[in-house]
Amino acid sequence: MHEESLIRSLLNQVGELAVRHAALQVTCVEVEIGLLSGVEPLLLESAFERLRSETCCHNSTLQIQQIGLEVCCRDCGVTSMLERLVFQCPHCLSDSIRITKGDQIRLLNVTMQTDDRARTDCGTAATIPQGEDSCLKPSSP
Amino acid sequence: MSQTIVPVNRDLQADRKQIAEQLRQQFTQQGTLVINIVSSPGAGKTTLLQATAKHWADRFRMAVLVGDLATDRDAERLRPFVPVEQLTTGGACHLEIPLVKQGLARLPDREWDFLFIENIGNLVCPASHDLGEHLRVVVLSTTEGDDKPGKYPKMFRTSHAMVISKCDLLPYVPFSVDAAVADARVIQPELVSVAVSSLNGDGVAAWCEFLEQTRSRLLQQTETPS
Repeated sequence: MHEESLIRSLLNQVGELAVRHAALQVTCVEVEIGLLSGVEPLLLESAFERLRSETCCHNSTLQIQQIGLEVCCRDCGVTSMLERLVFQCPHCLSDSIRITKGDQIRLLNVTMQTDDRARTDCGTAATIPQGEDSCLKPSSP
Repeated sequence: MSQTIVPVNRDLQADRKQIAEQLRQQFTQQGTLVINIVSSPGAGKTTLLQATAKHWADRFRMAVLVGDLATDRDAERLRPFVPVEQLTTGGACHLEIPLVKQGLARLPDREWDFLFIENIGNLVCPASHDLGEHLRVVVLSTTEGDDKPGKYPKMFRTSHAMVISKCDLLPYVPFSVDAAVADARVIQPELVSVAVSSLNGDGVAAWCEFLEQTRSRLLQQTETPS
């Protein structure tokens, strides 16, 4: 259920991008799932397959990259990747750590087929602004 | 026809998080502490809110938005004590910010000291949705077992406080308050823990005191903007 709501939001965002780029169709959607994102890749995949049919992604694949948890230690300042959910700095064993990456699901890239003429006409392809890197803000709490 | 790769690199929930942040700032400005109450089904969220309302009586203004899959039973239980608005999810397992905004629009008054959002009973999905709260409080009942924090790490990691509920049952169930607190602190060392029995009232004063102190800090924050 939670994965379905994420896929609906993903399909909406990809749909807007496809319109902006005058895409004929979307062929691949790449997402990154962190260890603490609360998302199960298999369920995400099946939700994508279920919900994509009436959208520009009906022929698209979903590529999921799983990443660990990136933490920055407040005591020793070292940034480390955790592969298991042990909330401790592997360097100095302090438990005062800030999560800097891996607690989100991120849309990375969208591959689409575009009509060359339409592209020349609108002339704005590949000018999508980069999203703000909110993963670098301290997570709540 | 050609292939274009559009780089995005953006949090899928960025828009929702921004709306939640705006809501939080708005409530901070008006001095309302917003508390998102999460737990598994039947842990005692509604009974805790009843006990909270009775404890404060007329000392503080509180309101509740209560989420439920299909019924308004929890709202009916709270209605004799506080202004309450039902959020029915139609089967969804968690609350999201658009539902909260709809509920807020239906509440009669907006001048509250405390606004509680009682989430759907579920220790998984609600952890991934910021509802604009200042405090996320996870309620863990003594009948669920003291090993739950480690089994639901995201929920406990993203919570600020844990209420151990149904403590009147401690003599009859194999639950150690110390073990539950220790398990939770491995995941979230800053987690505040309060042991409560909403039925006999033990710990309710301490719980309310914690909320009052947190609100005082929020008010200081608005007086001296950093």
